[in-house]
Amino acid sequence: MKERIIFGYDPFVIPFTLGVIFIMLYLGTGTVRILLTLTRKEALNLLNSIFSVKIFKTFKDILFDVLLHVKIFKRNILLGYMHASIAFGWFMLIFIGHIEVILYTPQRNGVIYYPVFFRYFVMETSQTLRGAFFFFLMDLFLLIVLSGIALAIYKRFRSVRLGMKRTTRLKTGDKIALWSLWMIFPLRLIAESFTADISGGSFLTSTINTLMGSLVESTVYMDTLWWAYSCALAIFLFALPFSRYMHIPTEILLIFLRNAGIKSSSSRDGFAESEIYSCSSCGICIDACPMSVVDKKSNYTSVYLLRKLRRRKEDSLFVAEQCLMCGKCVELCPVEIDSCRLKLLKKRENFPDQIFDYNYLSKKHPEFKSGINRPDREKVLYYAGCMTHLTPQIYTSLFNIMDKAQIDYSFMDRDGSICCGRPLILSGGERAAKELIKANSELILRANAGILLLSCPICFKVFKENYSLNGIKVMHHSQYINLLIKEGKIKLKKGDFSVVYHDPCDLGRGSDVYSEPREVISSAAVLKESSNLPAESICCGGSLASRRFSQSERESVTLHSLEKLNINNPEKLITACPLCLRSFSKFNKRETLDIAQLAEQQMI
Amino acid sequence: MVDFGFELSSSKRIDLDSFDSDLFLKLKAESGKITECIACGSCTSSCSAGIFTLVNFRKTILLIERGKNEEAIELIKGCMLCGKCTLVCPRGINTREIILSINQYYKKERF
Amino acid sequence: MEGDVLVIGGGAAGMETASRISDFNRNVILIEKEQELGGHILKWDRLFPDGIPASDVTKNLKESLGSTKVLLGCYITSIEKREDSNFFAQLNSGETIKCSSVIFATGFKLFPAQKKQEYGYGLYERVITNADLETRFKKGEGLGKDAPKRIGFVHCVGSRDEKICNNQCSKLCCITAVKQAIELKQLYPFAEIFCFYMDLRMYGRGYEDLYLEAQSKYEIRFIRGRVSEISQEQSGLVIVKAEDTLASRPLKITLDWVVLMAGIISERENDYLSQQLSLQLGEDGFIDSVDPIQKTNQTNIAGVFVTGSASGPKTLPEVINEARSTALSVNEYLNKIKNG
Repeated sequence: MKERIIFGYDPFVIPFTLGVIFIMLYLGTGTVRILLTLTRKEALNLLNSIFSVKIFKTFKDILFDVLLHVKIFKRNILLGYMHASIAFGWFMLIFIGHIEVILYTPQRNGVIYYPVFFRYFVMETSQTLRGAFFFFLMDLFLLIVLSGIALAIYKRFRSVRLGMKRTTRLKTGDKIALWSLWMIFPLRLIAESFTADISGGSFLTSTINTLMGSLVESTVYMDTLWWAYSCALAIFLFALPFSRYMHIPTEILLIFLRNAGIKSSSSRDGFAESEIYSCSSCGICIDACPMSVVDKKSNYTSVYLLRKLRRRKEDSLFVAEQCLMCGKCVELCPVEIDSCRLKLLKKRENFPDQIFDYNYLSKKHPEFKSGINRPDREKVLYYAGCMTHLTPQIYTSLFNIMDKAQIDYSFMDRDGSICCGRPLILSGGERAAKELIKANSELILRANAGILLLSCPICFKVFKENYSLNGIKVMHHSQYINLLIKEGKIKLKKGDFSVVYHDPCDLGRGSDVYSEPREVISSAAVLKESSNLPAESICCGGSLASRRFSQSERESVTLHSLEKLNINNPEKLITACPLCLRSFSKFNKRETLDIAQLAEQQMI
Repeated sequence: MVDFGFELSSSKRIDLDSFDSDLFLKLKAESGKITECIACGSCTSSCSAGIFTLVNFRKTILLIERGKNEEAIELIKGCMLCGKCTLVCPRGINTREIILSINQYYKKERF
Repeated sequence: MEGDVLVIGGGAAGMETASRISDFNRNVILIEKEQELGGHILKWDRLFPDGIPASDVTKNLKESLGSTKVLLGCYITSIEKREDSNFFAQLNSGETIKCSSVIFATGFKLFPAQKKQEYGYGLYERVITNADLETRFKKGEGLGKDAPKRIGFVHCVGSRDEKICNNQCSKLCCITAVKQAIELKQLYPFAEIFCFYMDLRMYGRGYEDLYLEAQSKYEIRFIRGRVSEISQEQSGLVIVKAEDTLASRPLKITLDWVVLMAGIISERENDYLSQQLSLQLGEDGFIDSVDPIQKTNQTNIAGVFVTGSASGPKTLPEVINEARSTALSVNEYLNKIKNG
């Protein structure tokens, strides 16, 4: 190998070099800024995670998430290939470029532009084994990238083919970056092809070179193309911070921070910032979001919220208040951005804590008829919560089951509940909810029970996560019924009718209870699949979290969810949440039952 | 006209000739349904906080509509936002949203 | 089978319309899906406001049917209007009916009270509906031998309620509740009776008098507030929660029995027929009249008429009067198509 240009310099490298310096400075400043916002403890955690075996997990995550995009592959193979081919292919082009420089022109090591424009500066024939090997590799990866770009262009116009019904609307910065990204690789291909007769090439570049015939002999064309290639790169690099492609570098930082166990505590702190900039605007959350069935509401999906947060728009609060907090977007997000948490934080910052007044809870405890003050130690304390009082069929069935199993239980809030606090938390009232949590905790601890039994997944989640109950076991009734079956205290006979099970958001995604309800149902009826995976179940529309959903909009969500549930024509719909039960039974033409009702009916 | 000394204390009566309709109009703009209340009392009756306190959503929005904002806030601040009232309202009024809006409004007014 | 007119539904509306059209020497076919003519009033004991036995009304209606051909246990599986403006209806019995005009006297359905989940109908033994109470009256059971101490009536169950998709006022329940409350008080003079209402719509002649009598003579107590929840004590007694809106306080009361005034909703079971004929339905599911003032019994399809509660909740006298006016309109229509 031999350098073609003695000084190793040509003016066309200037745009690219400026672009790289710009982006390096930008990323450097950004990283430092984010790192500076970390608390001392968080910073220590970060250091610990870097200088320990945890670093291997971080590297693995970076390889799988940032380069190979494994999660998107799981979603749709073509879409995954599109992302992986561009990211991994491009990475390999840069990586091999550097190896070439190190191997063949070590004196140029460290010159920013050299690995990228290697073919311009260095001559070699493909006849040598070394040349043939590297040229082949470089052409191969270029081809892979180009195939990804071709898919990307196709996707812009026919996104459905890549498994996406809707994609994000682009802003100017995004468009400039997108077009320049599309241009970079075709330009690189042609530029390298034009120099292939001088600098060498492989199956792609050499072939194109031969096909071009006499055109390639003019150095004017050649220079123009290398200029164009460098400019395309420069435009992309300069547009990067103002575009969604910023996610490529930011995600690496996010993975480091996340693996150090850092969480955001305001909607614009360091971690939040790294999440906000890591959003690739891929738009997977748009299709995932149950809001999207109401046309204008798809503007409020997580991707647009993150965009608003990034631009510090005032109406980001309004957008956050739209969300049903079902968590599906978090489940599906390829970058694992916890957008629900960001929404909560945003709401928390604006919550009217000063107005709410729960003094009455500490002054006087309500007297509960059902004897929680009885001296004998009771095993099960049942808390219906606010919502289950509106669906008495759930607790009636549950009590019948417990009677049959001869369980000693008491009904903590027969005459009315102090709310569990989660509805407040969902609206941003985390501080206010503490008073409710305190009042309930006292009541529960006084009852001397071993198990706190709940019917409402909303309560279940908050009792598990925000209460400390001295080792009292918190159980959802679907788990408890399953336990009774396992312990042989009740027996179910399997009916010959078919049912489908709807995973309530706060029970499934929210609390990771998927298998127990299914075990109960499978022993009582024929369980059919819905069109969604359990972790991708669609909100029933009854969510308390959204402030901005009108009744009719909620109905659209319910109908959409029902349609997906009933896809395999089950005879009944089973759910495990009072809110879901109410939402669905309003419209479902099939019988809609709670899991406790089903179990009671099939009990022998 | 002789003034019978009514100025000594402010009138307790609802005065539809001059009253503070600011909050009501704001709520109406945000959730038009606020005018659709039929005063059935389902919200108050189902209210989890209602057994311990004076929380009364039905009366709150009635008082706001009549311009008695200061009295209204007293009937809402013990709300635990559990959302039961939204679930039972036969007119589909987004009660929970309105409660939050009222409290947001007062936060801005007072703090 | 051929006829001039096909009347769908053998309740009060259908029977009266059929007899009046028969009076014009028309060939009328009346089909009823049940095995007996009469419709909802078959289950009713006595009728408001004067307490006339429902069976008397059914008997009179049946007797005046005249030459009407009655097909019991029959319903239409499909129906179409052909170009010659004749209707062809396929029955479940396999028979085909050809006729020049069709009358929907398909009536209404009582709201299935178990859909209002928080009231626990079907779950609690002592929560019954207005229809259940009438059946008990008819059988002479009342509310059992042990005189109940306290009974509650819950108005507007399944009416004026967006949450169960019925926004309309059922119109008859207010007065029915007052009638049934009085009947119970007559049966159990020492019982305390409460009516939970949102608005008392005593619009008909004699209704307000009955209300007044309920207050003064029978000491029935009226509480303005919709019931939000009903729960059951271990003893089987039921606890009702409502807001006493006039006192602005939440209210709780333990009762021996609760009677839910299930409202009148549209008979959605006939939607397939209205679809086949492209009949226009309102959002509430009731059949729309082509003109709500002067042509109340004509529909958007020429030759198809509607009478009785199929076009909205109506009292019996209204149904009977409307049936007669429908008969006139149908006769007019038949004359018109005959004369081209």
